[in-house]
Amino acid sequence: MPADDPSRERAAKRLARFEVILVRFENGLNLVAAIAIFFLMLMGVVQIIGRSFFNFPVPGYIDFIEQFVAIIAFLGIAYCQRIGGHVRMDLVITKLPRRMQPSAEALGVGLTLFLITLLIWGSYQHFERAYLLGDSTMDIRLPVWPSKLLVPIALSVLWLRLVVQFAGYVRLARFPDSPPIGIPLTLGSHEHGHGEIERDAGEASVAFPVSPGPGEGHT
Amino acid sequence: MNNTTVGLLFTGLLLVLVCGGMRVAFAAALVGLLGLITIIGMRSGVEKGFLVGIAMAGTIPHSKSVSYALSILPMFILIGFLAFYAGITDKIFDAARKWVGWLPGGLAVATVFATAGFAAVSGASTATAAVFARVAIPEMLKSGYDRRLAAGVVAAGGTLASLIPPSGLLVIYAIIVEESVAQLLVAGFLPGMVSALIYGGVIVLRAKINPGMGPPVTGFTWSERVRSLPGIVPVLLVIVIIFGGMYFGLATPTEAGALGAFVVLVLAALRGTKLTKFKEALLETSKLTVMIFTIIWGVLLYVRFLGFAGIPEAFTSWIVNLDLPAMAILIAVLLCYMVLGMFMDAIGMLLLTLPIVQPAMLALGFDPIWFGIIVIKMAEICLITPPIGLNCYVVSAVRPDIPVQDVFRGTWPFFVADVVTVAVLVAFPSIVLVLPQTMMQ
Repeated sequence: MPADDPSRERAAKRLARFEVILVRFENGLNLVAAIAIFFLMLMGVVQIIGRSFFNFPVPGYIDFIEQFVAIIAFLGIAYCQRIGGHVRMDLVITKLPRRMQPSAEALGVGLTLFLITLLIWGSYQHFERAYLLGDSTMDIRLPVWPSKLLVPIALSVLWLRLVVQFAGYVRLARFPDSPPIGIPLTLGSHEHGHGEIERDAGEASVAFPVSPGPGEGHT
Repeated sequence: MNNTTVGLLFTGLLLVLVCGGMRVAFAAALVGLLGLITIIGMRSGVEKGFLVGIAMAGTIPHSKSVSYALSILPMFILIGFLAFYAGITDKIFDAARKWVGWLPGGLAVATVFATAGFAAVSGASTATAAVFARVAIPEMLKSGYDRRLAAGVVAAGGTLASLIPPSGLLVIYAIIVEESVAQLLVAGFLPGMVSALIYGGVIVLRAKINPGMGPPVTGFTWSERVRSLPGIVPVLLVIVIIFGGMYFGLATPTEAGALGAFVVLVLAALRGTKLTKFKEALLETSKLTVMIFTIIWGVLLYVRFLGFAGIPEAFTSWIVNLDLPAMAILIAVLLCYMVLGMFMDAIGMLLLTLPIVQPAMLALGFDPIWFGIIVIKMAEICLITPPIGLNCYVVSAVRPDIPVQDVFRGTWPFFVADVVTVAVLVAFPSIVLVLPQTMMQ
């Protein structure tokens, strides 16, 4: 197939354009999670100072933190998938012949897409029950449905990301020479160290890859 | 087909998916979900199995993530990021160099103690190795140290971060096996110190046998030494807050972590760190945190299915009925971890195996806190063994002039030291248990 097939070009452009919007959205959600982490820290400090020096702990501190953790636990999930941040073992897949890699990746992403579809449904039911029954926390009776609603929302964004990646891998499997769109860069495990240092690796399947350098994952 | 068979079949499927490169969190969750549907479906029909399975699985991401105990993870990760900007690394290495540089292999010994100190503000092995590859290796090479020794000690010293609190891996262990986070973190302190001392001993011994390998660095006056001490104050402060706070029962781990992060943040701000750096640190923290939360709930979904299938009980009763001494089984399990760790990263390996292995070890009479420390130590050993000993790749990446084979050759004495450490901890469990047993709850 010629590389300048116009309908293919158009499809690729549409995919790339949609990805740009999705990227902004994911970055925004990750920023919200990052700000939440900052507040989690501040709340801990206030709690410790209040309790130790003024004998006045923040009322319902634990209840509040528990609900708050949902923001940190879920909102960045699509962003993390985009930059290939979720742990995996790539020893086998990177040894496959180059032509087969996109198909193998597409299969993995496809299975994940299937899982997330079902989990969105299941976690929405979980939210709906809490909302209809008016569930609340033990101590200060915070409603729990808002934090439960975050799960299907965050998973839906992940779902969109997975669709983009699936399309990207299928595209690459069919047209191996076209420039990749919407997928993280794959590195062999011998290159892990570099990703760790330069923070520009798509794949960071490492234990606690906390690296102190600056940097932002790319798309 | 009985439940155990289903459990084993789906566990096999999980193995295939993980080896095939699927993200561990999602592979585990998918197998857990399909397994629940199958088991419930066999009992009450396909449609019911499908609906109940999905409803049950849908509760897990939220219910397993929204916990007070887990809120410590972002705090620990944030401390690790900010510690770099607080300028702790250079100063702590400088102080260690002045105090122990006179020993045979003195700079390498100083590196071990400095990494141990940095471990008190960082819960991540690879980060510690990366930081000290920049700080310590140039100094050692300048003083004529053997390249392999210089690279090896940095790779090995990095592993101390996962034992000395704050440690992300210990928190994850505590969550998975439902033990006290505070007790495990406190328990890691002494074994981390013992590890550092044994590393130091190995270096001194080798430098004594072969003095050309690591000449002592002398000529520091006492006043220079004393003047280097303020550089380690930030580390001591964080130790007092996190370790002291938990040990004396003054703060929960999350509170201690929050205060520790805040102090490091203030220190970094005092050094004129730019606002954009803080933002980057928070964004990176967020990314890592979500990764860990995802794998935790993903694996716990699989664990829920395992529970339904009765796999942990079956495995435990099989192990307990083996006609072998408990110690032989322990050694076999540790060897399995060593092999597994050669191919998998620590988080994935621990999360996937502990739900089955840990109850069996408990049934054999091993203490859960003690076993946790041993297992984390095993996971750390895998960071310096080929083929994918990550710390070695990190060091080689920071220092492209040192090929990774040389780093691996430099780490073997530390591998021996680690085996000795594990043996010491097995022979004297009280090194692990004395602090958690005496801490105030």
